[in-house]
Amino acid sequence: MDIKENFANVIKANEGLIYKITMLYTDNKQDRKDLYQEIVYQLWKSFGSFSEQSKLSTWMYRVALNTAIFHLKQSKKRPDTIPFELEMDKLTDESDKAEEERIKLLYEHIQKLNLLEKGIILLFLEGKSHEEISEIVGISISNVGTKISRIKEKLKSQIKKNTDYGT
Amino acid sequence: MELEEMKQGWNAMSKRVEKQEILNQQIIEKMTQDQYQSNLKKIALPEFIGTIICYLGATYLSVNVPKLEEPLIQYFGVISIALLLILPIISLQSVRAMRKINLSSHTYLETIQIFGKQKIRFQKLQKLNVSLGLFLMVIGVPVLLAIKGISLDPTPLFWMLYFPIGIMFFLGFSYWTLKSYNKALKATEKMFTEVNE
Repeated sequence: MDIKENFANVIKANEGLIYKITMLYTDNKQDRKDLYQEIVYQLWKSFGSFSEQSKLSTWMYRVALNTAIFHLKQSKKRPDTIPFELEMDKLTDESDKAEEERIKLLYEHIQKLNLLEKGIILLFLEGKSHEEISEIVGISISNVGTKISRIKEKLKSQIKKNTDYGT
Repeated sequence: MELEEMKQGWNAMSKRVEKQEILNQQIIEKMTQDQYQSNLKKIALPEFIGTIICYLGATYLSVNVPKLEEPLIQYFGVISIALLLILPIISLQSVRAMRKINLSSHTYLETIQIFGKQKIRFQKLQKLNVSLGLFLMVIGVPVLLAIKGISLDPTPLFWMLYFPIGIMFFLGFSYWTLKSYNKALKATEKMFTEVNE
């Protein structure tokens, strides 16, 4: 299997991961497509130097999250987009309105967090261990625990505020 | 909505996302080839056009300023040339800094810190750029009029009225523009402080 084929398989197996990151770091469909493309490109650029010293998912999260940060600054510059469809704005079936509402609310709350918190909570929700979060984010394992507790508190108060105002 | 419900919602969404196919082999190949120009490295068209205009302006002034007789206007001309050469360099510096970043070798926290520092630096450079650009507008007008052979001497109102009004407009506009840049800068610095806490 050549490197390109290998890379395509890696991407195809992790499309969901990239998509979820684009959902958290953008607020419209076009930006989402641009960021998706940029992440795939940046992953390809460093794919050759991926040493397998770290887990594949650790490397992917790191590159994807780092790309998302810098994409914030550049989102007004439209790249030459490769045509592809990103038609997953409706993530639930028509019948499950409650779940759709819950996911929408979840994104709204996470998007209010600062960049570091946003990255940590994403990894937490993705079920990553404290050790892997520490490796991707670059903070100590004990600090990961502290940050997650703080973010939970912050989200709780955000949710409470939201419920109190009945929105 | 409790956090546990959030996590359930996230898991439910993850399952649905994983079922969908977004990219096929061909699209992935296109994304890895030359057909895609990285957004992060791209110099925007306005920056490119702006640079060309500034350098054309500097060339035009360099040819014509030595022909001017009045020392003050000559002095303004030299400053204008210098500004036209410096302004694009300031603009392009942030793009150049962006090119150096290696997105796979840094941790997420390191990238946020680099991003924050670059953003603060960029906003400071933008402030400087706006101030210098406005200053260029004020001193460039008498130079252009002199090159076109329009004498300002028989127009006493120019130095008595128009020029002071121009300066006042320049100061007012600078204050207003820089205030909005300061606001953006403070927001970035706040984000940076929060992250480092």
